This record gives sequence, structure tokens and C-alpha cells, in this order.
Amino acid sequence: MSAGLAEQPTRERSPGGMTGRLRWAAVDPLPGAGALAIAVAGIVAMAALGGSYNGLTLATGLGYGIVVVGMVVQIGYSHQLAFSQSAFLGIGAYASALLETKYGLSVAEAVLATLALSAVVALLSGLFITRAPGLALPLATLLLPLILYQLATFSQYLGSFAGISGVLPLIQGGSYQSTLTDTGMVAAAILGVVSFVAWRVLRSGVGLQLAATARDESMAEGLGVSLRQRRLELFVFGSILAALGGAVIASVQAIVTPDILSLSAELTLLVMLFIGGRRSIPAAIVGAVGIEWLSTRQPSVSSNLLIVEGALLLVVLLIEPEGLAGLLRRVALQTERLLRSVSRTRKPAEETT
Amino acid sequence: MSTFGNLIVAGITSGAIYAIFAACVTIWFRVSKVLNLAIGDFAMIGAIGAAKLAQSDGLPTAPAILVAIAAAALIAWLFDWVVLHPALDWARGHSGVVAVFFYTFALSFVLEGLAKLAFGTDVYAAPAVWAGGALSAGGLHVQRAAILVIALAVICGLGLVIYLRYTVSGKAATASGQSVTGARIVGVDGQRLRRRILVATAMLAALFGALESPITGYVYNTGPTISLIGVVAAGFAAFRHPGRAVLFGLAMGIAESLIGGYVSTEYNEVILYGLLAVVILMVPQRLGLQEQYG
Repeated sequence: MSAGLAEQPTRERSPGGMTGRLRWAAVDPLPGAGALAIAVAGIVAMAALGGSYNGLTLATGLGYGIVVVGMVVQIGYSHQLAFSQSAFLGIGAYASALLETKYGLSVAEAVLATLALSAVVALLSGLFITRAPGLALPLATLLLPLILYQLATFSQYLGSFAGISGVLPLIQGGSYQSTLTDTGMVAAAILGVVSFVAWRVLRSGVGLQLAATARDESMAEGLGVSLRQRRLELFVFGSILAALGGAVIASVQAIVTPDILSLSAELTLLVMLFIGGRRSIPAAIVGAVGIEWLSTRQPSVSSNLLIVEGALLLVVLLIEPEGLAGLLRRVALQTERLLRSVSRTRKPAEETT
Repeated sequence: MSTFGNLIVAGITSGAIYAIFAACVTIWFRVSKVLNLAIGDFAMIGAIGAAKLAQSDGLPTAPAILVAIAAAALIAWLFDWVVLHPALDWARGHSGVVAVFFYTFALSFVLEGLAKLAFGTDVYAAPAVWAGGALSAGGLHVQRAAILVIALAVICGLGLVIYLRYTVSGKAATASGQSVTGARIVGVDGQRLRRRILVATAMLAALFGALESPITGYVYNTGPTISLIGVVAAGFAAFRHPGRAVLFGLAMGIAESLIGGYVSTEYNEVILYGLLAVVILMVPQRLGLQEQYG
């Protein structure tokens, strides 16, 4: 979207009330460079942290990063408010865990099969779900986590409350530490690829159509955009990334429990998206890693996670709807304005001297 | 036949709760255009607050329930003052479909977290207002708390009808439901109405939570699920018709009970939610859910 509507400097008043002259709706870098930077940063950080607990946190955060990249496209840019991400996150995690532990598939086979399965499920369910107008879509999808959570907790096949343990890592190393490090590096590489694909989509003609649809559906339809097709594609795209993220998280943690499907998991994903910035891929990834770090590495936060996440979401919604990315953008604009005014006042002074 | 009858009675009891929550969600949505996804958490505060005050602090039942209701009212008022007032009245926060869901979604999680911190993960039940064993007649067994809940639901339902049809405030709420801007032009103070109705519905939910908790028991995270059922029941009434919302709430309670009795006790909620999702997706226009907020 960076080359499209969203990158155009606008003079509008933002939903959050950010009055301003030039406000860049997105300042994301080029897809290739940005994706490479994300992958390299993730790999370097994993190498630095090694197989420590911080490494486990980062690797899990990278898995969540894959999910929120899909949410940036689906919710942030395109305003498709479907609460189905935790459902597909769980589908991905449970599918890969089942295929590996019960059917003896290798990791690569299991992940590929999970992607195919999630694509089919997303396509079939999306045919109905994405036709829902207005409040019907969020309402119906809000029920999905409840349905799947209860299915997982009561099903012996899915391991009931204990879940499924013994999920294989993405790469098997000589020790736990090297296994975790290598798995985290692969997760970072996958995140880079996923970010590249998302950026490419947003910068393409399809991305322009999505932006137009998000702004005004009637106008987009008048311009010839097939709303039904774009909605379905969006839903499938977001769902596949959520399932892929789920498979990666299951591999990193070696276990899947029903908690991954709960309503609070959905809120956590939304907090990750909104804290980082719902329309910036790098910022949303930072949000995902940051929230994962806070929830696992800070005892005061992890024991009060619901309060912290709920309060953070309220603060972001009220103070800076564009999240961390918006805050940085605002600071950059203020700095730029300040520098300009300083240079303007200096020039006449120099001319007079 | 007695099994069927008892299932219907159990369904009407839980349905009465859903019905009142659905009516609360509908009335508040009419004036605020925000869905109250925290309505179940106010019930949780009423139930757990009353139980804790009565059991740990030795307060008599009635004052314990009153204090819990007052706490729910205070939280609702503070939420409106601190969050909704700047967000909706000053346009400081998100608008559109994000505002419809996310403010109360976040409040629900804050309340859930605070309840976990304060009360732990134990199951709580407020002391029964009408103590004693279940009443039996013709093979039907009805708990006294259930009779209270159903009776109160009927009273509240009638009160709601009287409020909407015969009071100035109720007519103002109806006018806001038709057109917020139009209502403002004719002098309806939408902000005050929104705050009053939020506080009133929070108090009502807390009262129902306290009365119903002897039957089901409440945990810190009971709220979101019952909120969601209330919201879905309200959704079936397009968030505009409280009477229809009450009927759908009752129907959901009865359906849940019958599925639990005849199909599966473990998967009754899964089946019910699945059916609800299918209906929402199949006939959204007929339910009046096609309006765009975004």
C-alpha cells in the first residue's frame, strides 16, 4: 500500500484526531529491503540470544509476528474486522502437532500440509463468512474462538485441557539450545518471506483496490472492484498466515494447548496489532515481540496480563490510534517542523549579518 | 415429559439472564452505537462481589448485594467518564466499527483481570436471597433462585417497556435509536443518556449476577461468554428492538438447555454457537445486521 493510496501524503484529519499538515499514512520501506531487514534482524537477535529463555520468547514472538502481518493486511489496511485469527492460529498449531505426533509426518511435510489444510478451511468458511455485511462478520467470527476452544478442551483426540505435547522443532539441533536457536532463525526467515509477500500485495494493484474498498465500498465497487472476491482473498490470506504462525509457535514451544484458541488469545493478537501499529508491518511485528516479551519475561505483567492488555488497548485506542508507528511518525513530524522553524529563523539572521 | 419440562424450566432460567443482557445491550447500543461486551463482567462483579462480601466480610445478604451493585455502577460511570466521554464526545479515539467493539472488549478484559487478581480462580456463589430446597410441582423441579431470576426478568422486562413507551427519558432513548443527530437537534442530551443507561444496565446485570450465582456459580472469567450470548441475542434483534432481543435471549437459553439434555452435555454450547454463527451468516439482512460502521 506504500506506493498506493496509503502512502500519499494526506491533509485529512486522522480518526485519532491527529491534525496535521502532511501526515504519511505509511512510511514502510521497499518490500525486498524491508523483508530482508526483518529476517536479518530476527536471525541476528536469535543468534545473540541463543537457546536462552529470552531466545524462546523472541522465537515465539516471531511466530506471533507472522500472524500480525496478516492482520495488518486484513484489519489494518482493509478494515475487514474478522475475529478469526486465534481460531486459525489454533487450527495451524493443532494441525501441525497432530500430523507430527499422531501421523508421523516430518516437520516440513506437516507445515506444508497445515498450510494446504488451512487454505481449504479458510476458502470454504470464507465463502460464507466474507459475504456477511456490516456487524454480521465480526459477530459471527467472535463465536469461532468459543466454538473451537470448547471443542479442543472436550476432545480427547486433541488432548483435552493438556493439549498435545512433543511437537517437533522446525530444525533439530544437537542440543536444546541449538535446536531453539535454529528454529528461531527459521521463524525469522519465514517472517521475512511473509512480510515480503504482504508488502508486495499492498503495493500491487490489488493493494490499491483493498485501500479503496477500506475507504468506501460503494466507491470501490463503482470503480470495478469485485468486493466479494477481494474479501474472500483477504480472509484466506489472513487465515493462512495465522495458521502458519500457529504451526511455528507450536514448533517453538513443542506443545499446543487450548489456550491458544481462547477469546483472550484473540485479544492478545489485537493488542499486538494495535500497540505496534495496525497499518505498519514492522511496527506490528515489534508489537508482537514486545507483548510476548512483556507477558513472559515480566512477572508483574504476566500475572496481570488481562489488566495490562486491556488497559494498553484502551490507551492506544484513545491516545494514538496508529500505535507505536503513529507515535514515532508524530515525533518525526514535530522534529521536522521544529528543525524547519529553526532554520527559517536562522536564515534572516544570517542575511542581516 | 418431566425431563422435557425440567429442561424447559432450566432453559427459561438461563434464557431470562440472556434476555435481560440482550435488552441491556440493545438499549445502550441505541444511544451510544457501542456494543457492551462487558455486560457479563458487570454480572460477575455482582455475583462474586456479593459472595465475597457476605462470606468473608460477614455482611448480610441484602447489603452485600447492594454494595456489589454500587461497585458495578461506579465502574460503569468511571468507564464512561474516563474512556467513552473523550473517545466519543471529543472524538479523541477510534470511531466506526473499531469503537463499536473494542472499548468494551478492552474493559471486559480489564475487569476480568482485576477480578482474577482480587478474587482468584475460585468459583463463587452469592448467598441465596430466597433460601431453601428446590420447589416441585407435577414432576417439575424449580430452584428458588431460578424463580427469583425469572420473576425479576419479567418485572424488568415490563419496566423496560414502561420506560421506553411512557417516560421522557425512554422516548429520548428511542429517538436516539432512530437518529442520534436528529435527537440532538431536538434537545436530547445523548451523552447524559448514554452514561445513565450504561450505569443502569450495569446495575441490572450485577443484580442478576448476584441472584443467579447460587444456581450456576461465577468465576472471574464467566463474563465474556455470557456477554457474547447477550450481544448475539441483541444482534438477532438488529440491536434496535429490545422486545425481540428478549425473545431471542429466552430462545437461546431454551435451545442451549434442550441441546444439553437431548444431544450432548459436553458440546451443547459448541452446537448452539455453531447454529447461531450459521444463522448470522445466512440471513444477516433479515436480522438487520447489514449496517456499515466503518
